[in-house]
Amino acid sequence: MAPPTSSLRKRAEQLAATLPPLLVAAERVAATVAQGVHGRRRVGQGETFWQFRQYEPGDTPQLIDWRQSAKSDRVFVRELEWEAAQSVWVWRDVSPSMAWRSSDALPEKRQRGDLLTLALCVLLTGAGERVALLGSGQRPSTGRGVLTRLASEIERAQESDADLPPVMPLPRYAQVVWMSDLLAPLDEINRVVRSYVDRGVRGHLVQILDPAEDQLPYQGRVRFEGLEGEEPWLLSRVETVRDTYLDRMTAQQEGLAAIARVNGWTYAIHHTDRPPQTALLALYAAMSQAIGI
Amino acid sequence: MLQFGALAFASPWLLLALAGLPVLWWLLRITPPSPRVLTFPAIRLLIGLRPPEETPARTPLWLLILRFLIVALIILGLAQPLLNPAAKLYGSGPVVLAIDDGWAAARNWSARESVLDGLLSQAEREKRPVILVTTAPSASGEPATVSDLLTPSDARRQVQGLKPKPWASDRRAVLDALGNLDVDGTAHAVWLSDGLHDDDVIEFARRLQSLGRVDVLRDDDGSLSRLLLPPESDGLSLVLRLRRAAALGPETAQVLALGGDGSLVAQTDVTFEADATNAEALLQLPVELRNRIARLSIKGEAQAGAVQLLDERWRRRPVGLVSTGPAEVAQPLLSELYYLERALAPFTELRSGDIAALLNQSLAVIALADIGSLPEPEHSLLADWVAAGGLLLRFAGPRLAEGGGDDLMPVSLRGGGRTLGGALTWDSPSRLATFDGESPFTGLTVPNDVLINRQVLAEPSLDLGDKTWARLTDGTPLVTAERRGQGWVVLVHTTANTDWSNLVLSGLFPDLLRRIVAVSQGVVGEQMAHEDLPPVETLNGFGQLTAPAPAVLAVDQDTLGSGAIGPEHPPGYYGNESFRRAHNLAGPESRIEVIRDLPPGVSADSYAESSEVQLKPWLLAAALILGLVDLIVSLILRGLVRPATGQTTALALLLLVPLLAAGAPGAAAQTRIGTEGGSAADLFALEATLETRLAYVRTGVPAIDNVSRAGLYGLTRLLQRRTSVEPGVPMEVDLSRDEIAFFPMLYWPMTPEQRPLDDIARRKINEYLENGGTVIFDTREPSAGIQILGRSSPNGQALRRITEGLDIPPLIPVPPDHVLTKSFYLMQDFPGRYAGGTLWISDSEGRVNDGVASVIIGANDWAAAWAISDVGRPLFAVVPGGERQREMAYRVGVNVVMYALTGNYKADQVHVPFILERLGQ
Repeated sequence: MAPPTSSLRKRAEQLAATLPPLLVAAERVAATVAQGVHGRRRVGQGETFWQFRQYEPGDTPQLIDWRQSAKSDRVFVRELEWEAAQSVWVWRDVSPSMAWRSSDALPEKRQRGDLLTLALCVLLTGAGERVALLGSGQRPSTGRGVLTRLASEIERAQESDADLPPVMPLPRYAQVVWMSDLLAPLDEINRVVRSYVDRGVRGHLVQILDPAEDQLPYQGRVRFEGLEGEEPWLLSRVETVRDTYLDRMTAQQEGLAAIARVNGWTYAIHHTDRPPQTALLALYAAMSQAIGI
Repeated sequence: MLQFGALAFASPWLLLALAGLPVLWWLLRITPPSPRVLTFPAIRLLIGLRPPEETPARTPLWLLILRFLIVALIILGLAQPLLNPAAKLYGSGPVVLAIDDGWAAARNWSARESVLDGLLSQAEREKRPVILVTTAPSASGEPATVSDLLTPSDARRQVQGLKPKPWASDRRAVLDALGNLDVDGTAHAVWLSDGLHDDDVIEFARRLQSLGRVDVLRDDDGSLSRLLLPPESDGLSLVLRLRRAAALGPETAQVLALGGDGSLVAQTDVTFEADATNAEALLQLPVELRNRIARLSIKGEAQAGAVQLLDERWRRRPVGLVSTGPAEVAQPLLSELYYLERALAPFTELRSGDIAALLNQSLAVIALADIGSLPEPEHSLLADWVAAGGLLLRFAGPRLAEGGGDDLMPVSLRGGGRTLGGALTWDSPSRLATFDGESPFTGLTVPNDVLINRQVLAEPSLDLGDKTWARLTDGTPLVTAERRGQGWVVLVHTTANTDWSNLVLSGLFPDLLRRIVAVSQGVVGEQMAHEDLPPVETLNGFGQLTAPAPAVLAVDQDTLGSGAIGPEHPPGYYGNESFRRAHNLAGPESRIEVIRDLPPGVSADSYAESSEVQLKPWLLAAALILGLVDLIVSLILRGLVRPATGQTTALALLLLVPLLAAGAPGAAAQTRIGTEGGSAADLFALEATLETRLAYVRTGVPAIDNVSRAGLYGLTRLLQRRTSVEPGVPMEVDLSRDEIAFFPMLYWPMTPEQRPLDDIARRKINEYLENGGTVIFDTREPSAGIQILGRSSPNGQALRRITEGLDIPPLIPVPPDHVLTKSFYLMQDFPGRYAGGTLWISDSEGRVNDGVASVIIGANDWAAAWAISDVGRPLFAVVPGGERQREMAYRVGVNVVMYALTGNYKADQVHVPFILERLGQ
């Protein structure tokens, strides 16, 4: 058997290949120290040439540009433009409620979340951004090598009961992306979002829903049982409460949209019966356009 | 017992349970069907929701009625409803069942069994004890018995073991026991009689009557047992005799004559006259067929009285020829014995010898050619033998004519004899007259060309005419016969050769002898005549031959003669394997009569089928079926089976699965990707074809298979990284099971443990090679030299053994300019884990399969060089070593895969510039 990471990674790459490299709008470049493709018009670590200057004592000899130095009597050092990269922290919900699908023809919400996460990472690293999984304890890093690590991390992740991301100290102006069904109470969501916003972190909420959750297509006498230890709920005739349920769902989604709007975040809904490209495209648009390059 | 018209309930109290149905109604109404259970992540949004009107889900009315019906059916069924119930048993005491189980009961035994069953069921229902009375002595020889009080179930067990006996009932034996029977209350006695009368019938019925009410059951007159009496043999034909109990109109029975192996020899109808109890019929058969008859039986009557076993007395007619001495051997064609032998041999068993020797054997007929007068010891021996039943056939001749004979002659002869048509006589040779009605020869046609030239003449006497069986046209006797004791003496008044007449040359002569032999009584002077004969096979009550029961004793001659039948001497064969005597139930004098003179007050009835029908099983079965319906309905209502999709799923399960198992075409399987289902073969095919995959042959040695898998996995990784070939995970194939046509190449390591291929695998591989597949055989040995199919190593031998029968083209070492050296990397040698082995390749310069060699054989253990662990580290060190060798091994793998996939297109000039450049350097 192939390691599953490679097939997940391969699918994610196929998905990402349909979009151009994603350039995350770099905001407040100066505030971050990490390197990226966003040139900062000053000397620093980077890849593109910035200027030559004379060798000064203290410079390491490796920095000497011998070709340039040979043209004159002086010894030159090549300096590169300081480039800074945006760091993106992706969090995806691994709570039991994500491991669910309404029919065998659909993927589980968590599978779709994994796929979107990795596809996003592929796009981001393709653009030279630094990505990390929120809560994994790893530093954000870039390059294609990181994808392998991310893929195996995603695959190996254990289920956890947390349906909201942990509140972690992130660098200012980092971005977070949440892949979750976002069914937690709005207050809690708002609290966590606020705690990130207070640190100057921007974010994107992606709500991954099974179509059955959006439509409640059941009827008759049904006892619903939760996946995270909720009380079972018996409904004698499901069809009679469908409208109420849809109202509540709409209220949840509108509340999420409001939270995003107020805090300057973005919010997108993705159904597992839709192709993942649409979600990725929406995310792409949100991350690249919201701020504007 | 509760009765409504034709319907009755045996346990009516159970019907009270029907009153509980309303309770059931209430229970079912208030209990809603249990809900479907679904998991649902967004349950938080559902909690607290309530339907606008909380009407309790109710069991639908029709389901209620269905369940009602089930319970009602069960209650009704347990109440034991009976349709057309039998009349109640009389009285309050025990039920006395008197059963005639003698031979005459066998014909209608099944009717008796069903009547008994009905009576016992009735006794069971009314909880009456049962007394069983059987009138025939048991097989172990004990006399008929009267049982103690039995429970009906015990009685049923005994009745089930009851079988009719092949001897007669003995009602007298139970009279005393019946008289001593002490019964509480009045009994109801049912006498299942065999319908035949004997002297004890009246007394028996009276004794029964003293216990209470008596019902006598008897067979209808038409189905009473009939007797087949011993047949009589009158010369040519068997006279079959039947006897019946009552003269009730004309009746026809068919009598079957069966051979010893049960084959049907003959069949004839025997018709009773309207007012006769006896009937006779002739069974005319050629002697050869008649000899094959082993038993006679009445068709359709399975009882011992309808069977007559025949033994050798009816069959063999051994004939002894008395030869007088060697003189006759001199001119065999003129010898009298020669003519006799030729005439008798077709239908008899011939023995020859002198008289003393012949008399020691069992013979029916002794033929004496012309012998004058018999010397003394032989004469008296022969006379005794004839008196015991033998037939002495004598022929005249010159010696008899001169000697005048002795007293073993049917007639006394005049001396000298008579010559007709000789040179000194006036008469012409005489012809035979037609046979008159008394003669056993009646019916034979007399040919005109039989001429008698000489004969001996009988002294005229009063009874000469009676003794004469055949005469000449002038009235002089030609064959005379006389009864002596049990036997016959027959004289033919001319010779048994052609000296005196041409009779022996005519077709009449064998016919005459045949009739004469048929007249004989059979074998006389049996061996063992005075010994007791042990039983060989005995008849059971149904007239079938079985092994004798232990109680059967050897039988002596007197018993055989008297025809006594009983548990000690049941009818059957007695004797030993070589000699058997039949002992039959019916003797010539056996009589049967219809039962009569029953005392008044006894009601007689016949064995009619009881019309009582138990409805219990039907009702319970209906309840079960409805219960199943209810189960399915409940499942559908609970949503465990959804009618719309559920039925299709069930149908698919029912219909598709066998189809798939039978090998549905791959195209059909393709359309079902994603759904579960599809046989293992389809899954394998899908897995193998959705991606290009490398494959290796399973050797059955786990260590080797693991190396192969890891090696191909490593090669796959390398191919993905370096080339545009992106194979899937390598697969393992089992040659005996899996289809291999999907794979571009197969890697096949050799192990000594592998068995030679079976035919299917061999054909599969041959097709694979023929149609463009490539197999890489790897003997996995360091530097196996030039010799690849040598006997040097176990793996080499395995290769030789396995490839036997495969269509492997001629092999050559890879030439330096072969495509394999440049299909991806440029290389000249092909190291694997070991370096230096020669790589052999089939010489396929022909243009078949794009010039790709179908077989590559090497010894370098490439899989081990390619093998990597899960974390990507090599598993085996390469020999002699160095990462360069491993790299080269990977390049070999890449080249081989490229070669297998792309064929020979790299054989063209693509690499020429690089090669030239290298050459230049």
